[in-house]
Amino acid sequence: MWHLGPAWSDEPALAEAWRAAAPFPHLVFDDFVPQAALPVLLATLEDEPVERYEGDIFAFEASAPEPATDELRALRGSFAAVLAPPLSRITAKPVRRADMRAYAYRVGHYLLPHSDDQAGLGRALAFAYYLPSPEPPAGGELELFRCAVERGEIVATESARLIEPRPNRLVVFDVSDVSLHQVREVLGGLRISLAGWFYA
Amino acid sequence: MTTLDELFASRIATVVPEVVGPTLAAEVRSRLDRAGYTRYALLDRGSYDVALAPDEPALAAALAGLAHQVTGRSLVLADARALRLGAGDYLLAHHDRVHDDHLVELILDLSPAGVPGADVHYRRHGKVVFQLASRPGAVSVVERGPETACHHAYVSKRHLGACVVRLVVRLRDA
Repeated sequence: MWHLGPAWSDEPALAEAWRAAAPFPHLVFDDFVPQAALPVLLATLEDEPVERYEGDIFAFEASAPEPATDELRALRGSFAAVLAPPLSRITAKPVRRADMRAYAYRVGHYLLPHSDDQAGLGRALAFAYYLPSPEPPAGGELELFRCAVERGEIVATESARLIEPRPNRLVVFDVSDVSLHQVREVLGGLRISLAGWFYA
Repeated sequence: MTTLDELFASRIATVVPEVVGPTLAAEVRSRLDRAGYTRYALLDRGSYDVALAPDEPALAAALAGLAHQVTGRSLVLADARALRLGAGDYLLAHHDRVHDDHLVELILDLSPAGVPGADVHYRRHGKVVFQLASRPGAVSVVERGPETACHHAYVSKRHLGACVVRLVVRLRDA
């Protein structure tokens, strides 16, 4: 399922791109999964139940933190097995395992600005892989913010990059106390993704 | 044994409808606009306009009187602020102040019109324990404690032109 294409062959260049990316380290890979594998990938998710989650910073539908089906568990395991070694070398953050949930953002769903950095959780890298949607979304972009910090406190924020949720695109970004990001509100269609974190 | 939920339930959290009519609300909004708002844009905490210590003594006194009727407590003004949220705005729970002195908090909805989903939530451990729906003219009266956090829900960009105006008044024992 997960096959690293030529875009992954030049790891020193990717490492340079990772370090140079603004407002914080991230990489974007298009055409991540071979086209022929996409139907199989989508079929893998068909039986995974999702439910609505809502808090002060989010509203979306998602699978449970622990997959309900063997298929998604296997997908998660193979994703980590294939991606963790090269990402460890590219990002200089040793990672070994990943979690993974399926997300469905419908009209009106959002994830407001936050960093994924939480003490004790050990999240090192975040990822989002956008799946082909039967109704391509309007909105739903991943927005990255630049933060100014004084004495350990964020004192200013500004939008710095928008990443469209294009189908078959993988985004990997750094987890830190200033990796502020959001999923903009979906204003039309359906945004489907697999997302989670890599851990040391 | 008293559980935390029972403890919260024993406090007052209620909504009083139609406290302010549309004409008075429009007058207050106009005065707040003239006095001016400051944009708050630390986006990991909130995105909204705020006017600190708005000069609305008569309205604050009327709200204190209402709070006395609802709670039976003799109360005086601790602080007040006006919030204005447009489409895409919000105020998150971790931006809320922790209250361990059992202040009474009133939120008066001065909006010109209701905005679907633009609610105020009080949460305990992530669970909504009290909700003020977008309802112009209504006021919520909540006895605050250290275990609850208040947030103003995201205003959908589907409601272009939405304007949510809230007067937040906190009262302490006289």
